[in-house]
Amino acid sequence: MLEISKIDVYYGDLQALWDVSLTIEDGEIVALVGSNGAGKSTTVKTISGLLKPRSGSISYNGIRLDKLPAHKMVELGICMVPEGRRLFPEMSVLENLEVGAFVSQARKAKDETISRVYHIFPVLKDRASQAAGTLSGGEQQMLAIGRALMSQPKLLLLDEMSLGLAPLLVRSLSQVIRQINKSGVTLLLVEQNVHMTLELADRGYIMENGRIVDQGDAGVLLGSEQVKHAYLGIM
Amino acid sequence: MIAQVIAYGIVVGALYGLVAIGLALLFGVARYLNITHGSFMMMGGYVSFWLFTLWHVDPFASVPLVMLVMFLIGLILYKTLFSPLSKLPEGLKINNSMLITFGLLWVLDNAGILLWTSDMRRVTPSYFGAMFEIFDVRLPFIGLGVIGLALLVVFALHLLLTKTYFGKSVRATTQDWEAAKLMGINIDRTYLVTCGIGVALAGVAGTAIALMYSITPGGGLEWLLIALIVLVLAGLGNIKGILIAGVMLGLVEAVSVYVVGAPYRAAVGLAIIVLVLMFRPQGLFTRRTRGA
Repeated sequence: MLEISKIDVYYGDLQALWDVSLTIEDGEIVALVGSNGAGKSTTVKTISGLLKPRSGSISYNGIRLDKLPAHKMVELGICMVPEGRRLFPEMSVLENLEVGAFVSQARKAKDETISRVYHIFPVLKDRASQAAGTLSGGEQQMLAIGRALMSQPKLLLLDEMSLGLAPLLVRSLSQVIRQINKSGVTLLLVEQNVHMTLELADRGYIMENGRIVDQGDAGVLLGSEQVKHAYLGIM
Repeated sequence: MIAQVIAYGIVVGALYGLVAIGLALLFGVARYLNITHGSFMMMGGYVSFWLFTLWHVDPFASVPLVMLVMFLIGLILYKTLFSPLSKLPEGLKINNSMLITFGLLWVLDNAGILLWTSDMRRVTPSYFGAMFEIFDVRLPFIGLGVIGLALLVVFALHLLLTKTYFGKSVRATTQDWEAAKLMGINIDRTYLVTCGIGVALAGVAGTAIALMYSITPGGGLEWLLIALIVLVLAGLGNIKGILIAGVMLGLVEAVSVYVVGAPYRAAVGLAIIVLVLMFRPQGLFTRRTRGA
């Protein structure tokens, strides 16, 4: 479905990614894990078009993505939930959802998708007319996911979904992610929370210092000595 | 007498709000500070003037056509001068848009002299000078028309921004342009159309100026100054408070003319800017910190 092939990405003169290759198959949940500053966010930002690779290519069902502007990705069915939620704070919960359905195909099915999102996150329905900036952290994350679902994505990129949220909430969001995946959405989870993410995912990639250092079946990665050692604090 | 002064202040203040609203929209949404805003007011005034002089089109009826012409000019402005700046960080974008439009101002104002001479022009329809009297307060019909126009513009802009998909995309882009891109919004297009609307609103203000005062090719600078004062009063980027800020400025000026005399009118406006910047730099109607 998505194939990243040997991309190098720079911030100005500073190289952030070296030779990163990654594939995502239809229907999968793929985890991209690693510590802070490893290049995970840079990778998803490049997929979503906010950054452009200097070399290498990204293709999605045969379409070259790395030359397209960011707003085109949404039309193709790729949507990203950015780190830090990035809601429109002074707009209501409902308006945030409506903006999520901006692209024309999604706009036609707007009412249907809204009721689907309300079904997944009932609290958003109760808060529909409230300004998004006044929601709690957990509710904001639900709205950020809901807003992305409004675009009817085929591939959903979730950047640091669990950051700053209570463990109980993270667990219930994990359930939601399974549910979204079962409804036919492919997912890329980008996380520092290695354990939670690898338990949820089918396959995983591990990043360090801007490079992919390991990859494979999520269960195998979770059991590997290197991951236990570096990320889970288990000796 | 004081009631007359206040009534006059409200009429002038409504015009001040109209003068500033297009500038505030473009700055609030896209962070372009358009120094040619005043020149575009004059240009809009000329469109209305020629429509009236050549074809006897009523100035209030000419507003939609003036808006259309100025909207197209706004699109050209964005495509030629503003879009190359769109990738710059916010501070540089403000500075560079100021510099570029400052240059454009001289080009436009001098081109205006070549095209239309530097004669003062005004639009004088049959009801020019007609008064409406209520409780000893005399109000010019034209002034009432301008208040109506200002209210209509604010109301229409409010509807556009809150009820339409385009308006929602404009507000989303204002609050977080990067997140807006991730939602599939083509923010370059949003900026383009916003620039068109901002310049169209300058045209509306220009029509009102040609009716209440007069227009000359170089006359825009004075109106730009008023627009900037209103912008600072309302708080940079705040569109909601613009009309109220305009009316406040109009009232303060009118009262000051009554108390200390007409020569100090402009000084009062500038004194207000200094006071606001000293004690409430975020403006009178803007909270200091925005939401999360």
